[in-house]
Amino acid sequence: MNGQARVLIESMPNDIGTEAVGPLSFDEAFTLHHRAVFRTARAVVRDSALAEDVTQEVFLRLYRNLHATPGEDLLRAWLLRVTLNVARNTVRGQNRSMVRDNEYHKSTADNGFAVEAPEEDYERRVAIEEARRALDKVKEPMRSCLLLKQQGLSYREIANSLSLKETNVGSLVARGRKEFARVYGKIGGRR
Amino acid sequence: MTRCLDEATLQTYFDGELSGEMMESATLHLASCSTCAAAAREMEEEINLMMTALEPEFEASVPTERLRQRIDAAVLDLRVDAASLPARGGFGAFISGLLSFGSQRSLGYASLVVVLAFAAVFGLVKLKTDTPEQPIAQTPPVKNGNEQVAVVPPTVDQPVQVNTAVERKNTDKRPTIRTNPAPRFTAVKTEVTTSEPVKLLPGERAYLQTIARLDSTIKANKKSMRPSLQVEYARNLAVVDRAIAATRSAAKSNPNDPDAADFMFSAYQSKVDLLNTIADARLGGGRSH
Repeated sequence: MNGQARVLIESMPNDIGTEAVGPLSFDEAFTLHHRAVFRTARAVVRDSALAEDVTQEVFLRLYRNLHATPGEDLLRAWLLRVTLNVARNTVRGQNRSMVRDNEYHKSTADNGFAVEAPEEDYERRVAIEEARRALDKVKEPMRSCLLLKQQGLSYREIANSLSLKETNVGSLVARGRKEFARVYGKIGGRR
Repeated sequence: MTRCLDEATLQTYFDGELSGEMMESATLHLASCSTCAAAAREMEEEINLMMTALEPEFEASVPTERLRQRIDAAVLDLRVDAASLPARGGFGAFISGLLSFGSQRSLGYASLVVVLAFAAVFGLVKLKTDTPEQPIAQTPPVKNGNEQVAVVPPTVDQPVQVNTAVERKNTDKRPTIRTNPAPRFTAVKTEVTTSEPVKLLPGERAYLQTIARLDSTIKANKKSMRPSLQVEYARNLAVVDRAIAATRSAAKSNPNDPDAADFMFSAYQSKVDLLNTIADARLGGGRSH
């Protein structure tokens, strides 16, 4: 209650309108970053329904800590760091079968969320599964570097997300990418 | 020429993360060194392979709407939990019914008028007691509050009944109320504040706690408030808050003046009254009409 009281008194003079005062409102943060959060979560948990749970948890943490999160430029890095942590915790104890994901795709298709031809859908998911298996073989922190790189994060953001030195990110991405290409070539017979 | 590029530098080059100077020298080197150029081609192929392989994973659709709904609902739950008063539960329809009363609006106006009057009285007293060139006391509410000074004595209680006459007058002047759609996350902004320590004046804490409690109850049920009423409520609240801020800063700069503190508490009381009016009307509003 004290915290709330303090917030109240601090916000008193001009803080009554409906627009946000901070660098980014919760709403804007969601609009800008929910895709990256969801996709990163899904790449880790391998399950769209679980990825939704993770995304919800991540944004609730943002909501609770809005006053303590970094500014706009590093917010995405912060969100994805939390995403990786929450997703890894979620994945422990979960079995990673594709069964649940299939059910999810079925239910979302029923609700009109996904409209894909079944064969196309199948091919697509085989491709996703191959990439995931290759990604699985890449060790941490290279794997997370690749995931975040793929989401378009800068080296600075990646370093911030994973608590690495920015100068090491290039080398980690290079090693991760090399390992991925090697394993993926074997799995898919493409190289 | 320059030294050959190691793998990390080459990767950084492809990711566009080299500094301007290094980028230039790397480009020059690649143009002149066939070994590095071959390595670069190979790396480019690998990068493309990886991009293509991971593309389906990252291009797959994102259920934006559903995520939005889920998170909205979760945030709302969070706020209801924070309110933690018995007012939660099946009051939804009941409350929205109550809120459509016209009397609700007039109670709001009454509180507004009381606050304007407080601010005006305080402004006058302040002008008399302090040096005349001190403008602090002349907060925005004073602007149209002068005529009401005589009507309202600066007492703390009974703000609502005293002012019905003045309030009628005000009702006519009021511009039509825009029905803005309620913003999705109205509570967000209160959380985006700096965390500097705030020194509370003696006696303030109890008021702030009461206000926080009432405030969170009202916020938790805000969705069931008509948008027009929400706007009005926010506006009244803004006036009260400005009055509090003004009286507070005066009380702070004159810690030995009991009147200053009294005025601050009066302003707080007005806010409590306004919040109570809103909260009470929802719970037992049948009697007000």
